[in-house]
Amino acid sequence: MNTRAKHIMAIASKEAKHIKRDIFTLSVALVLPMVFVVFFGFVINLDYHHIPLTVRDNDQSHTSRELLTQASAAGYFDIISAHTPLEAEEQLQQNRMRGLLIIPHGFHTAFTNGEVAHAQLLIDGTDNTMAALATTYMQGIVQATQQALLSSHEPPTAAIRTRYLFNPELNSRWFIVPALSTVIIGFLAIILTALTVAREWENGSMELLLSTPLRPLEIVVGKLLPYFALTFFDVLLVFALALLVFRIPFHGSFVLYLTACLFYIMGALALGLLISVITRQQQSAIQFGFAIGLLPSFMFSGFIFPIENMPAFFQYVTMLFPQRWFLQISRALFLSGSGLIDLIGPFIALFLFMTGMITLAIRNFKTDVEP
Amino acid sequence: MSIEVRTIHISKTLNTTAALTDVSTVFDAGMVHGVVGPNGAGKTTLLRLIKGLLHPTQGKCEFTYQGKVCTPQEAISRMGYFPQEPSLYPDLSVWEHLEFFRDLYNLGDKDFNKRAEELLAATGMTPFKDRPAGKLSGGMYKKLGLMSVLLNRPSLLLLDEPTIGVDPVSRQELWDIVYNVAGPEMTVILSTSYMDEAERCAKVHVLQNGHLLAAGQPHTVMENLHVTNFAELFLKHE
Repeated sequence: MNTRAKHIMAIASKEAKHIKRDIFTLSVALVLPMVFVVFFGFVINLDYHHIPLTVRDNDQSHTSRELLTQASAAGYFDIISAHTPLEAEEQLQQNRMRGLLIIPHGFHTAFTNGEVAHAQLLIDGTDNTMAALATTYMQGIVQATQQALLSSHEPPTAAIRTRYLFNPELNSRWFIVPALSTVIIGFLAIILTALTVAREWENGSMELLLSTPLRPLEIVVGKLLPYFALTFFDVLLVFALALLVFRIPFHGSFVLYLTACLFYIMGALALGLLISVITRQQQSAIQFGFAIGLLPSFMFSGFIFPIENMPAFFQYVTMLFPQRWFLQISRALFLSGSGLIDLIGPFIALFLFMTGMITLAIRNFKTDVEP
Repeated sequence: MSIEVRTIHISKTLNTTAALTDVSTVFDAGMVHGVVGPNGAGKTTLLRLIKGLLHPTQGKCEFTYQGKVCTPQEAISRMGYFPQEPSLYPDLSVWEHLEFFRDLYNLGDKDFNKRAEELLAATGMTPFKDRPAGKLSGGMYKKLGLMSVLLNRPSLLLLDEPTIGVDPVSRQELWDIVYNVAGPEMTVILSTSYMDEAERCAKVHVLQNGHLLAAGQPHTVMENLHVTNFAELFLKHE
């Protein structure tokens, strides 16, 4: 082993001993991912089921009953019948329902005559997410009703049939869990390493280290290695939970996924080190770590807020954050099974981020104790 | 071979404070030098400037190794330095510290084992080699720091206030270790604010408020400055 490798391994081994003996670091590294998985995987559910829906069926026909049967069977809506317009209004005023479906007279006749059969759906717009989902669910129910009824009549001359690719049931867990690693790494990796160099400065050990033949490159790489192992373990854990507990399919290449993890983890760890190298104080480092690690993971990654819906300027801003690129890769590999050619842009962005952060951490590493 | 250090009109300003002003002195090779002065005199700054951890605002340090002037980089690579502030890792044991520095100084296993056992025996630390640094007494902690920098057999040993906060017995033991290692192979420069320790050095360099008051053999310095001990010297200049 050459001198440089020996120095790197000495720092890595020392750091690994600190991690093993520091209950706080170990707890954060091992418990936090579990908290994220439980919270986002089990507690938070962006799907809506059993939406209370009042129905005023003025047609009372075979067709209207079929529509309501389909709505009830899908599990998205709990049907409450209103026998009079007054009763429907009462339920609306008392906030006992989130939507009102009014089926007019002549609904069945229009349908069987091949005309457009109209019905009115009123949705509580105070929750726009629920409103949008309820509309989508209802479109699916209408489609299912048409198919069920038309099989006994003549086939439709023209109809748009929607089928959701890669996530046929629009299950939000399929959407969230593959993105969890993005948040976990983005937060954990930055916080863990943000403390390491700052701690050495505060403990006084940095002065001793700087008086040895160690070079900045050796300190930076040596410190990254054990934290890489720890974070990588977390990613594999979340990956296993996604497959085994949440039953999310993984259609892409596992090697590609690991490569993306490597670039993203090393980049995020190096960013944490850069914060530590610049601030030299644990308190400032942790504040920066939270701001840079946590916020972009939620705000600018597309984890919850779709990037396409952001103003153009902020869409460009998201490109600066690796969270956006890793999340794109992760979701694509899990659900659609994209290949390297399809994901070459995000991979290049992650690689540039990783090399940029490591270079900056080394360049900004002070080799003296000048104030 | 030991290193000789010459500071030539060296000054250092830290932020806006003049920590050292125009200090010129010679640290002859193979001797035990004491940089003495009260707190805030500039002792730590001078040692850091010699080690290259600070850069002089004016002036320079010149190093001579084996009778020839050498570059600061070459000299720095042959130095051992133990700072005044606690700088060891509380969770690492004595032996783990020695292993860590073995790798940093690139020592072979055979050489390391022999040297480590020698140092442990010389410091009386053999029974404590599995004890974490955070659980060592003040004296043992300083001894571990000293062992860590002595592993590499430096040609110039810089010790910043090695006896501060240490009981009298441990102070004596630390001095014994310093005397044993100094000689033709090693120059020792240590700083101290304990005035009685100044008289144990072969040569003292007296600092106050960043200025060099005097340098020479302890008794000669006291004679020239008309004082009977170093404490009196600083009280006189207060």
